[in-house]
Amino acid sequence: MTKTILVPIDFSVASLNTLKIALEPYSEEPIEVILMYSEYLDDSITELLFHTSNKTVSNLITPDFKDALEIIINRFDGKIKCLHIETFHGHNQNALRTFLEANHVDEIYIPSNYQLKTPKKTFSPIPLIRKSNYHIIEVNIETDFELTIQEQIFSLFN
Amino acid sequence: MKTQTKLAIILGFLSTTLVVVFGISVYYFLDKYSYVDFYKRLEARVSIATQYSLNSGTLNAKYLKSLREQHLEALEKEKEYLIEVSPKTSFQEIAQKNNLPVNFLISLSKVGTYNEKQGNLFIAGSHYKKGNKRYFVIVSAENYYVSNHLIFLRTVLIGGISMVILIVAIFSFYFSKHIFDPIKDITDKVKQISTENIHLRLENNINKSIEISELTNTFNELLNRIETAFEIQKNFISNASHELGTPLTTIIGEADFSLLKPRSSEEYTIAIKNILQQAERLNEITKSLLFLAQTGYKGKAITFEMVRIDEVIWQTKSLIDKLNPNNKILVDLRLLPEDPKKLKVNGIQQLLHLAFANILNNACKYSNNKPVTVHIASSNSQVIIIVEDQGIGIPESEIDFIYDPFFRASNTNLFEGHGIGLPLTRNIVSLHKGDLIVSSQVNIGTKVQIRIPLIKI
Repeated sequence: MTKTILVPIDFSVASLNTLKIALEPYSEEPIEVILMYSEYLDDSITELLFHTSNKTVSNLITPDFKDALEIIINRFDGKIKCLHIETFHGHNQNALRTFLEANHVDEIYIPSNYQLKTPKKTFSPIPLIRKSNYHIIEVNIETDFELTIQEQIFSLFN
Repeated sequence: MKTQTKLAIILGFLSTTLVVVFGISVYYFLDKYSYVDFYKRLEARVSIATQYSLNSGTLNAKYLKSLREQHLEALEKEKEYLIEVSPKTSFQEIAQKNNLPVNFLISLSKVGTYNEKQGNLFIAGSHYKKGNKRYFVIVSAENYYVSNHLIFLRTVLIGGISMVILIVAIFSFYFSKHIFDPIKDITDKVKQISTENIHLRLENNINKSIEISELTNTFNELLNRIETAFEIQKNFISNASHELGTPLTTIIGEADFSLLKPRSSEEYTIAIKNILQQAERLNEITKSLLFLAQTGYKGKAITFEMVRIDEVIWQTKSLIDKLNPNNKILVDLRLLPEDPKKLKVNGIQQLLHLAFANILNNACKYSNNKPVTVHIASSNSQVIIIVEDQGIGIPESEIDFIYDPFFRASNTNLFEGHGIGLPLTRNIVSLHKGDLIVSSQVNIGTKVQIRIPLIKI
């Protein structure tokens, strides 16, 4: 049976570490991975009219993030059945529950000691996730020092 | 001949020919057409004249005549002849009388209707029989259009063509002079590069045309290869002389020391044993050098082949294990891709081996054999190898110079080295179209990231 896991991300390589650690214990069972990016929707009607989540995602993916994601996919080639990035706009329990149910999420992995970066218009979904009574697994990821853009990829190798 | 001049001449010649051919054909066809048109007009007049001359006296003829006079434009020097031909009078007589060419009359009598041009005079005629009498109806006129308009057209065309030729000449001269500017630039820059400053590269401007940037790239790749070969040689010589020098010094020292004064046989035995040991080491080095020369550089062209990066790293590790048994190199396989295809690159195994050996040796050397981690991972387009050490690091202000040959960072005085390894490694990596990124913090460690594109299958 396919299992669906959800990992909140902020499009930094460091946040992918959660996914890396989450995938390690699984044996050969196929896994569907959903990477969740949380942002507030814009208030402006014209913005909303032309809003597509694909566009948001493709604007945010950095070359390093893409490389890091590909590294993880290549590493767990046999396990990952499919992987997609979803944007989450809600900010209450109901919205989160609907999102999780719609995506058939079985388990949520959250980093225990890493704060997702929340630039303008975005928020960390971790407090919401903690409050929900879903099956949550906290993982410990190491992020010891600040990295420049060029060095971001290093954080995957800790 | 310079390509520049050649190009200008070809360009000029081609455009001139085109314009001249165009002008001549316009003139020629218009000229032709104006004749045809004018003959038609004359023929129309001939047939009308025939109608009213031969049926003169009838009402019809009268109307026709007035119609012709009123509505048909009088042509330049238009003359109308109605000549009765009797067998008695010869054509010469008629011709002289009417001032008409004899040949025309002869042809007319044979053919029936005939046109001819005599100088500027156009003559059209027809040949009729009424009862038992024969008539020639002839109309002659000058073509005003030909004599004036066509001459004007000729002037315009000649003027136009000479203008075009002038413009083309100026333009092709300018164009040919400036199209080769980038190439001239490249030539000038390549001239500046010699063995002294072989690390210089041509600037590649993206705004330039594709051909030029390809040329620049080709030059840079060529320079990379030359520099690599150059530095391999330098590296080899300095390593070899050092390696050969150490045992020789020991041998000389040991022999000198023994000869200082008479010694006991035990002491001689020890000395000779030492000498033998060093001589054996020397022999081994010479043998391995010979082996290196035989296997590595047979003078054959170096060919790219499919190389598995993890294999190269394991080989390098085992080599370093032999050379420096105290090393603590850990190969991290946690992110190794499941698919072995994602580890294959198009490369030269020996050079890659050399590059990784350099990096790993540096990592061990400058960290005094603290643990060194090698991570292997691969994205969909590149293999990424990261070598992480806990060594002395590189001062931030000096990190820009680490690829300069013979540059050594200020904190490396305690370590032996020549400042050749890293430039060599970078050249090897760029030969494989990869990237080498070094980031470092003093006394914390250095991270070297090597990215090499995967082979395309």
